[in-house]
Amino acid sequence: MAKESAFNIHPMDQFIIEPILMGENLEWYSFTNQALWMLISLASISFVFIYGSRKHQLVPGRLQSVAELMYFFIRDMIIDIAGQEGLRYFPYIFTLFILILFGNVLGLLPYSFTYTSHIAVTGFLALSVFISVTLIGFLRNGFGFLSLFWISSAPLALRPILLIIEVISYFVRPVSHSIRLAGNMMAGHAVIKVFAGFAGALGLGAIAPIFAITAVYGLEMLVVVIQAYVFTILTCVYLNDALHPGH
Amino acid sequence: MASASNNGAVGMPQLDFSTFPNQIFWLIIFCVILFAIVKLFIIPRMEDIFANRRKIIDGNVAKAEEIRLRVGEIEKQIEEELRKAKAQCDDIMSTSGNNIKEQMSIALEDSKIATSQLIEEAEERLKTLRDGSETAIEKISEDLAAEIINKLSRGK
Repeated sequence: MAKESAFNIHPMDQFIIEPILMGENLEWYSFTNQALWMLISLASISFVFIYGSRKHQLVPGRLQSVAELMYFFIRDMIIDIAGQEGLRYFPYIFTLFILILFGNVLGLLPYSFTYTSHIAVTGFLALSVFISVTLIGFLRNGFGFLSLFWISSAPLALRPILLIIEVISYFVRPVSHSIRLAGNMMAGHAVIKVFAGFAGALGLGAIAPIFAITAVYGLEMLVVVIQAYVFTILTCVYLNDALHPGH
Repeated sequence: MASASNNGAVGMPQLDFSTFPNQIFWLIIFCVILFAIVKLFIIPRMEDIFANRRKIIDGNVAKAEEIRLRVGEIEKQIEEELRKAKAQCDDIMSTSGNNIKEQMSIALEDSKIATSQLIEEAEERLKTLRDGSETAIEKISEDLAAEIINKLSRGK
């Protein structure tokens, strides 16, 4: 599939979606490597959250405390940002968080596939956040939701200009929201792959590239969690805008 | 950018729009299953654990509150006892003080009487002494006068 080059480095190959199991052609229903890793992520989530806390321990064990940490982290985050009313949407936001977090983290495994590096996936998630937040805003506040764009705390002369800026920034939200995540995931993985290509080309003496991979990998472990956090916290911020549009 | 996607691996596979229906199809399935897991298993379990923990913590807090109240009561009792003991002590002190004062005043009275008696006696004795000496002087002077007269008359 890949084109030959001098160093034989194909950093983008890891993102190719290929059908596995059913035939060679990619149909809309084909089971792909991406779907496989979604399944693995589902299994991992079930392992951590269902198997890990199966004993309902009062004093949590290792896995249960990991599960609780994530659960209450998101819960507290929603309360902090969107208030108590935001807790109604906790299941959705929590689903979003673990979907992205597990996708990101599992993507760091060698030979794995990072489904969150695909703009289709993050775009779909960001668009669903955008649409549902807009719907929530209109359903809860009626046309009062539009006061989000009419900044009453600014001087009257500035308000029309701010209106334009606010409207543009509102509609850019899903774009920045999705590209931020996909871009971060793609860039990190591509960089690791590039260094891995160098290491492969240098053979046994590849100390510098391996050191670089280690460093980038450490950085990526951080980025992976932070991006899941950022995606979720932005969702909370948008939700807060929908719940309390009057600032 | 999108033009690069037609040759397979060249460019960004992310921008290969032909894969989008497939990706979104599986993503929707994935999201629905994951949401069901979150809603049916994860949230009830976590809330259950949290509620249990809350219950025990609340129980302990209530117990602590109860003990605190009891401690307050016991403290009050101790204070009461202390107050009583102090009052008793004051009582004893004041009665014994009064006793001592009384006895002192009695003793003082007694000693006053005794000294006044002594003074009287002494004055009595002084008076008698003085009286005695006056009569003695009178007698002596009478004797002396008689003797002087005698001698004068004889000398003539």
